[in-house]
Amino acid sequence: MSERQENTSGEVKRLQRCLNDMVSVLALPAMWSGSQPSQIVHILLDALLEMLGLDLVYACLQDPAGGAPIEVLKIAPSAKWKLADEIHKTVNQWFGDDPQKWPSRLRASIADEDVSIVSQRCGLHGEIGVIVAGSDRADFPDQTETLLLNVAANQAVIGLHEARFLLEQKRVAGELDRRVAQRTAELAAVNDELRKEIAERHRAEEALLENELNSRLILHSIPGLVCTMSPAGEVDRFNPQILEYFGKTPEELKGWAISDAVHSDDVPRVVAAFTHSIATGTPYDIEHRCRRADGVYRWFQVRALPVRNTAERITGWYVLLTDVDDRKRAEEALRASERDLSSIINTIPMLAWSARPDGFCDFLNQRWLDFTGLSSEQARGSGWGATIHPDDAKGLLDSWQMALVTGQLADVEARMRRFDGEYRWFLLRASPLRDESGKIVKWYGTNTDIDDRKRAEEELQRSEAFLAEGERLSLSGSFLWRLDTDEITFSEQLYRIHEFDRDSPVTLERIRSRIHPEDLPLLSEKIERARAGGDSVLNYEIRLGMPNGSVKFVRTIAHGTRDRDGRPEIMGAVQDVTERRLAEEALNQARSDLTHVTRVTSLGVLTASIAHEVNQPLSGIITNAGTCLRMLAAEPPNVEGARETAKRTIRDGNRAAELITRLRALFSKRESTTEPVDLNEAAQEVIALSLSELQRNRVILRPEFADDLPVVTGDRVQLQQVILNLLKNASDAMRAVNDRPRQLQIRTERGTDDQVRLTVQDAGVGLDPQSTDRLFQAFYTTKNDGMGIGLSVSRSIIERHHGRLWAEPNDGPGATFSFSIPPRQGGASDAG
Amino acid sequence: MRDEEPRMTPSSLVSVVDDDESVRESLPDLLKEFGFAARSFSSAEEFLASEFVGQTDCLILDVGMPGMSGPELQRELKLRGQHIPIVFITGNGDEAVRPRVLAQGAVACLFKPFSDTALLEALNTALQVN
Repeated sequence: MSERQENTSGEVKRLQRCLNDMVSVLALPAMWSGSQPSQIVHILLDALLEMLGLDLVYACLQDPAGGAPIEVLKIAPSAKWKLADEIHKTVNQWFGDDPQKWPSRLRASIADEDVSIVSQRCGLHGEIGVIVAGSDRADFPDQTETLLLNVAANQAVIGLHEARFLLEQKRVAGELDRRVAQRTAELAAVNDELRKEIAERHRAEEALLENELNSRLILHSIPGLVCTMSPAGEVDRFNPQILEYFGKTPEELKGWAISDAVHSDDVPRVVAAFTHSIATGTPYDIEHRCRRADGVYRWFQVRALPVRNTAERITGWYVLLTDVDDRKRAEEALRASERDLSSIINTIPMLAWSARPDGFCDFLNQRWLDFTGLSSEQARGSGWGATIHPDDAKGLLDSWQMALVTGQLADVEARMRRFDGEYRWFLLRASPLRDESGKIVKWYGTNTDIDDRKRAEEELQRSEAFLAEGERLSLSGSFLWRLDTDEITFSEQLYRIHEFDRDSPVTLERIRSRIHPEDLPLLSEKIERARAGGDSVLNYEIRLGMPNGSVKFVRTIAHGTRDRDGRPEIMGAVQDVTERRLAEEALNQARSDLTHVTRVTSLGVLTASIAHEVNQPLSGIITNAGTCLRMLAAEPPNVEGARETAKRTIRDGNRAAELITRLRALFSKRESTTEPVDLNEAAQEVIALSLSELQRNRVILRPEFADDLPVVTGDRVQLQQVILNLLKNASDAMRAVNDRPRQLQIRTERGTDDQVRLTVQDAGVGLDPQSTDRLFQAFYTTKNDGMGIGLSVSRSIIERHHGRLWAEPNDGPGATFSFSIPPRQGGASDAG
Repeated sequence: MRDEEPRMTPSSLVSVVDDDESVRESLPDLLKEFGFAARSFSSAEEFLASEFVGQTDCLILDVGMPGMSGPELQRELKLRGQHIPIVFITGNGDEAVRPRVLAQGAVACLFKPFSDTALLEALNTALQVN
């Protein structure tokens, strides 16, 4: 207070201090140069507080760095009061909320003490903030103090600007440094990267080089043909082997597609595969033939793999040609061999199959399938069973099951159904394939068609049965006689015929003992012939004398032959013809009876004729006898005449006797005899007998007898009976004929083959062509009074003479009946 | 011989026609014993062709002969106006012949064999007829 009192006394002194204060304020920036804005505010406020002797000073200034406002309060240590921290509120209470409207000076009461308060806004428009100063002095602020505050406020603004500038400068410098450091770091990093890359590249190049060297080494030493291709597929590098193999220059090989390097047959396929791979980038793998330098094509496996870079782009192709010719040929050979095997399996003339150890059928050859018509799928497993005949199925399956257990299959015969439903016999055989341990790993089987053999067997059995039955029914047996050993084999029936015991062997001696004693010479003769004759045929009938005294007739037909070893043997058949023989005898008897009956019947018809024939000589005898008597009774007796007539009587008597004999022969029933017969003579006798009958029927007979007719052998009477029958038939056939001469021609002649033929031709009613065949049947007749046995008997007579009797119609009216019989063996032709 | 039997004209000619030779041999001798002149022919045709047809006083004629039969000759002679008495002889026992030939005018019909008296009787009848 004393100083103020001094002011009054010393204006100069105050002014001086003001100037000093002013200088101090102006010097302030030097103090705060480079300080933080808050320091600047502190320094300023400290200076103001001291300079102006203030009780309080307060500043609230914008931080030039943009931070929170810098608010500083300084209170002089001499002040009797304290201000709380909430100076801001207090100030606002003092001045109001809006600093823009603050009054520059006011009086405030602090701690019941009046204080002069001034505010000084900073900045051109107070935008920087405000400085508040207080003093308990009532005159506060005087002019110098206001000036100082004003300057101090400006200094504060400048100081803060500077500080802000300085901060900005520092910030920019820092930013610059940071940027530089960052950039430097970046550059360093890039540099480092670059260095690394360079190192990497270098290493890669080295590796590449090494690779290259390795590759080349590999390429050159690889035992295959190798080349590389561009992504477009152009061949660019070759190893020497490839050039050597093809014998071409790289340039030539580059045009492989149009050269002969690839076999022309393979080119289309190769080009297609190649084009596909190049287009799609897929690996290329194909086998084809490549032409060797010497012109030989060999099979190669050609594989090409694409080479890709890190971006997965194809940068080229590696191509490897591997010679697979040997393998290919081996494969081909194997295939061919398999094909051969397969074709063998499928063409062998039997059905073949295989089965697993459990019996599951896993293969059937083509023939099997073709035969059955089944598909492989149908037949596999146990499907084949359906083809077996139901009657054979069980037996076969049993055998098969047994085989699966025992490992052995007996041959089985069974019928298998063919595709068309027909069953055929098969022989089924199977063998197991075993591994080293003996375990069955597979069954292999064949079915052989034995149908023909089977049928042949059946046929043979049947045929044997037939033969036996046939032999039994026909009472014929067969034998085989080995000439070298005299071994004789009899069939069963032959044993029965001979009534031999089957247990003892048949010998010639045994056979001889059975022969009828009268026929033993015959047997001996036949045996001799058989031994000598070789191949000649034996055909004879012989009698057997049976133990019970009965006689058997047997016919033997045999011929010589040779067995497979060329040994001579006699093979023959023996038939028991006893019944036939007896029947024949009975038949002959019957026929003989019949012949007699017909003869008698025929002759009966000729009674008149016969009477005439007999009466003629009788008439002569009686007449002559009468004449003779008359001559002897004459005076003188005519002895000479009587003798003459007596001679004639004897002659006629003989003639009559002869006639009677002949008639008796015709009428008699007798055994047929065999004698030489002159057919002319025989016919003339018949004509003589029939003449009156023929005349009575007004038949004109025209005999025409051959002069050189051979003699025949036979029964004269029976032959005459035939002639008589033919004449009678001819005569009867003309009985109704009145419009033409009843001509009957009887003719004998030498026919074809020297046969003696007799023909009777009439001009009668002729033959009904339809009944010609029946003419010769017994009891067939066209006549009212006939029995119809004449022609039947006639034919049987002629046939017994080994001849033939037949009928044929004439060109004109009537019919012709003829018979022909062989001439007598060795007989000369006797003139008739 | 000639006075012994009925007296005929000494030269009465009896012709025999028969195909049987023994008849032709024996009958003429007997006829001569009877006192006739006799001629024999083996067939009707032969007789017809001969010169004796007109001279024959009696004909002994066989019925059945080859060619022209006895009855046919009988008819033929009738046709020619030759009324010769005919004695038929036949070896055939056919009874049907006799009435037929008798109906035709035959004097007799004898069955062979016949006795000499039967023949003579027939001849006498025939010659009387004549």
